[in-house]
Amino acid sequence: METFEIPEAMVADMVAHAQAEYPSECCGVIGGDGDGPRKLFRLRNVDPDPVMRYAADPKELKRATDDIYDADWEIVCIYHSHTHSPAFPSPTDVERALYPEAVYALVTLQDRQNPELRAFRIVEGTITELKVVRT
Amino acid sequence: MAVEVRVPTILRKHTGNAKAVQASGSTVREVVESLDSEHPGLREAIVTEGGDIHRFINIYLNDEDIRFTGALDTPVSDGDVLSILPAVAGG
Repeated sequence: METFEIPEAMVADMVAHAQAEYPSECCGVIGGDGDGPRKLFRLRNVDPDPVMRYAADPKELKRATDDIYDADWEIVCIYHSHTHSPAFPSPTDVERALYPEAVYALVTLQDRQNPELRAFRIVEGTITELKVVRT
Repeated sequence: MAVEVRVPTILRKHTGNAKAVQASGSTVREVVESLDSEHPGLREAIVTEGGDIHRFINIYLNDEDIRFTGALDTPVSDGDVLSILPAVAGG
């Protein structure tokens, strides 16, 4: 199974972001390069129904992608949270996955005391799970 | 007007994997046409058959979302940067 290496501090940041936005879904992107994830960007969820869906604020996404572009990085991960369902891509997640090169990381707060993180690639409708390796 | 166009990874199959390309035009629409003539397939990925920007594509001219500046009729100036940004969205 392909692995997704991610610093423990970044995992903690993702989970903290998810908890802070609960019961709305949180979202963000991580810029990185061949050495892996480098910087996490929390983004505002501006979907009209933020408990059920997420849409990253385009202006904040633009700022994050500008920083990522200037650093010669790429978007290596897009993360969001599920607040009442497992950490697995929903049909909506699959339909709107427009970054085939990125890892889609999901944090579930279905059990708020025990958040779970899983990671996937979503390419042309096919979901492949990656093993998360915390570094 | 000569414009730099920043291309997201999902569309780099049309640009020989280049993350930025040059294009020209006096409006975003003309820039998209110019892009498509050099890199066939790009227009279709950005603009619907009805001539609107695809719902899940954001286009920024410098720091402005073109949906608020005239959409595809937004004028461009020499040295502008056009960024094509697929939405980060899901459920």
